[in-house]
Amino acid sequence: MPQVKKLLLFGVLFLLVAFMAACGGDGGSGTDDSEAESNGEYESASEDGEQVTIVYATGVDTTGKVEAQIEEFEELNPNIKVDYREMPSDTGQQHDQYVTMFSSQSSEIDVFNGDSIWPAEFAQANYALELDRFIEADGIDLEEHFDGPIQAGNFNGRQWALPLFIDASFLYYRTDVTEEPPTTWDELIEQAGELQGEGDTEFGYLLQASQYEGLVTNFVEIIASYGGEVINEDNEVVVNSPETIKGLEKLAEIVQSDFVPGNILNFQEIETENAWIAGDAVFARNWPYMQSSSNDEERSEVVDNVQIAPLPAGDEGSASALGGWTAMINRYTEHPEESWELVKYLAGEQGQKTGAIVGNHAPTIEALYDDPEVQEAAPLFQNPEFVEGLSAAVPRPVSPIYPEISDIIQIQVSQVLTGDQTAEQAAENMQTQIENAMEE
Amino acid sequence: MKKFHLNEKRLGYLMILPSIILVVLITLWPVAQSFYNSLFDYRLNDPTRSERMLSANMDLERYVDNYFYIDSQLSNLEGSADGDDIATIQQARETIEGFHSELASDSEINAKMEQIDEMLMNFQPISDSDLKYAKLDNDFAEDYRTALNSISEELQVMAGEADNEDLAQNYEQTSSLIEATSTNILESNFIGFSNYAKYLQDGRMWKSLSNTMIFTIASVAFELVLGLAVALLINRTFSGRGIVRASVLIPWAIPTAVGAMMWGFLLDGQTGVIAHYFNEWNLIPNSSWLLSTSSGGMFSIIFADVWKTTPYMALLLLAGLQTIPNSLYEASDVDGANKFQQFFKITLPLLKSSILVALLFRTLDAFRVFDLIYVLTGGGPANATESISIYAYITLFSQQNFGEGSVLSVIVFLAVALISFIYVRLIGSDLFAGRTK
Repeated sequence: MPQVKKLLLFGVLFLLVAFMAACGGDGGSGTDDSEAESNGEYESASEDGEQVTIVYATGVDTTGKVEAQIEEFEELNPNIKVDYREMPSDTGQQHDQYVTMFSSQSSEIDVFNGDSIWPAEFAQANYALELDRFIEADGIDLEEHFDGPIQAGNFNGRQWALPLFIDASFLYYRTDVTEEPPTTWDELIEQAGELQGEGDTEFGYLLQASQYEGLVTNFVEIIASYGGEVINEDNEVVVNSPETIKGLEKLAEIVQSDFVPGNILNFQEIETENAWIAGDAVFARNWPYMQSSSNDEERSEVVDNVQIAPLPAGDEGSASALGGWTAMINRYTEHPEESWELVKYLAGEQGQKTGAIVGNHAPTIEALYDDPEVQEAAPLFQNPEFVEGLSAAVPRPVSPIYPEISDIIQIQVSQVLTGDQTAEQAAENMQTQIENAMEE
Repeated sequence: MKKFHLNEKRLGYLMILPSIILVVLITLWPVAQSFYNSLFDYRLNDPTRSERMLSANMDLERYVDNYFYIDSQLSNLEGSADGDDIATIQQARETIEGFHSELASDSEINAKMEQIDEMLMNFQPISDSDLKYAKLDNDFAEDYRTALNSISEELQVMAGEADNEDLAQNYEQTSSLIEATSTNILESNFIGFSNYAKYLQDGRMWKSLSNTMIFTIASVAFELVLGLAVALLINRTFSGRGIVRASVLIPWAIPTAVGAMMWGFLLDGQTGVIAHYFNEWNLIPNSSWLLSTSSGGMFSIIFADVWKTTPYMALLLLAGLQTIPNSLYEASDVDGANKFQQFFKITLPLLKSSILVALLFRTLDAFRVFDLIYVLTGGGPANATESISIYAYITLFSQQNFGEGSVLSVIVFLAVALISFIYVRLIGSDLFAGRTK
């Protein structure tokens, strides 16, 4: 018995030591390395201006395009080394991490990808470096880009962010199940119910209904297709309208139907993508990037069986939410000039081209759609309907207090989807709460 | 003699002084700081309210940056404008220059502005708030702000009347620049208790408070019963007791965030094993009930918390059980008491203070629950699992509203203080009762 005990004790001790060694080793060597690296480079940078390391942060990238871009950038700028920092995939969590960092004036990140809804807030809070002087000095022509994404990076007449790619949502459908994608929401409901189960599928339709930022885009586009909006051009809250209620009721009807997964209320983009490339659904709503994962032969079960179409229409036609990401520079960076070089590359023709080819992200530079390499990479970009769809996308409410507005919409819409309140109540609550928040 | 006494007393106080200072620094200071924050309309992402200000201030960083453009834009306009407009613009320029030189007449402010100007030229951020802000006279601030606003309005009117489109656009641009400059002159944002008034009428605050209470009461109750059962079990001698004792602790040893991720997978409506079997055994209406509905979400977080912290409860109670002398049980055996009588007459009464201490720890922990909910449900679905700490986090960190977030933190603090007060009274009276008998 004592021997057994001793043996056990030794076993546990050994495990502990191994565990601690592993942890300690990891953490220790990690920090040592980076410190040694950055120290060395600071010195050399100050001495003969050789190599500078900057940190570039983006959300989780499943396509490998960020690495391709960094590689290309480092080749073009041998004196700048880029460390890649991966952030959470949920934009809300990314936002929280960035604002926590920047409000404490941290310089640990130099360049970061910002959602198109952030620049107003980041500019106002002094978290982003204004780019006008750089743009002027390097003679960047902003006219080459689509207007919407440039405007998204503009606040109070100054440019705080440059666009990386433009996003709009589309309806994905399985060509081996149906040839004719639905054109209205009612048709979608009908077809999804009928076709569910065909071609080894389990579900008719997938969307993003978890309580997070993506729910806001799903909500904004469906109410826009019925003619509703949250904040109008004159900055008035107009969400409590019959059109909004109708759109919201349609959304609730879809979410509560039998043809969506039972746990649709936990679905974000990643869940949608996983279920879609596993061949589980006939239709899905997602951003253009899912086209490239659908055709990835290593992961996908539905290679060559996927097409996209505009989202179904409501009474007022089809509307898709304007998404897209921009590059911003941390106001507190220690390397503003090198950071600008990276932003210039990423938002410029070369960076966007690599992004389009590797990541299937739609460029904001119009001329790139005529580039044969880009066209070859994604047949989507040859499709004039696609390019047209991009320019017709509806933006989310523009406001420096966007996080608060988004929070209100998420909660109220989510409560309709779980059946805790009616669409009328939600519209009324959103109206009063957003009005109060904007008045403060 | 008397003098000596005093000295000894002083010496005594002197000896405990370091610990008093420590207590003040570590516990009272942060609470006082939160309370002080909660009296301001204090928002980090809004430059007009990103500092706590009791009087008028000037955001010099932005002001210097804007002033740099104002001068050039106004002289630009003078060149392209016609007729009466030129006079108005000249007047506006003089007014602004007048105020600016009055501001610069303070040598300290002038020095600051020069330094900032140089830093801005080099794209250096101004991170020193002493440098960035300057206190202003309230009247001067008011006058300057009004002047800037009226100039901005005049330019707006001129923009409407201008027939040349380019010119109109220039007017617009300068007008919004000057308006933006007027917001660099900051008012005091001290608002006293109105944040509290707002939250006491806020339905969402009460909802999150009641969610927290439901979570706390349910999880602590289950943990107490299960923890006591586990403690009684591992207090007995049986072969392999050491392994059982060690393995019982595993859930407690797993970091909460990791545990919550794990439960997220296990309870998932599509791929979750637990959800699948619960559904199979007809314990839940369907397998996605757990994470997709309001009551399911609440059940899930309580379930995961009970799994995680029962071992902790068991450990605390086990320590209490081991202090009960065995002779009591032997004596009652002789007297012919059965196991139930022994449990209710000996074990429970002697365990009372251990139970109270364990409950105190767990109630306070459960009341401040954050990580488990944040990772497992994120407060959803439909905000049914939002605890007061999650709400405070969203307000403080997502919305960067430090004033209102601090109100929520102070509310959490008050609730926790109240709970500890009640428990300490209970424990105290229990100990006292023990001593007098």
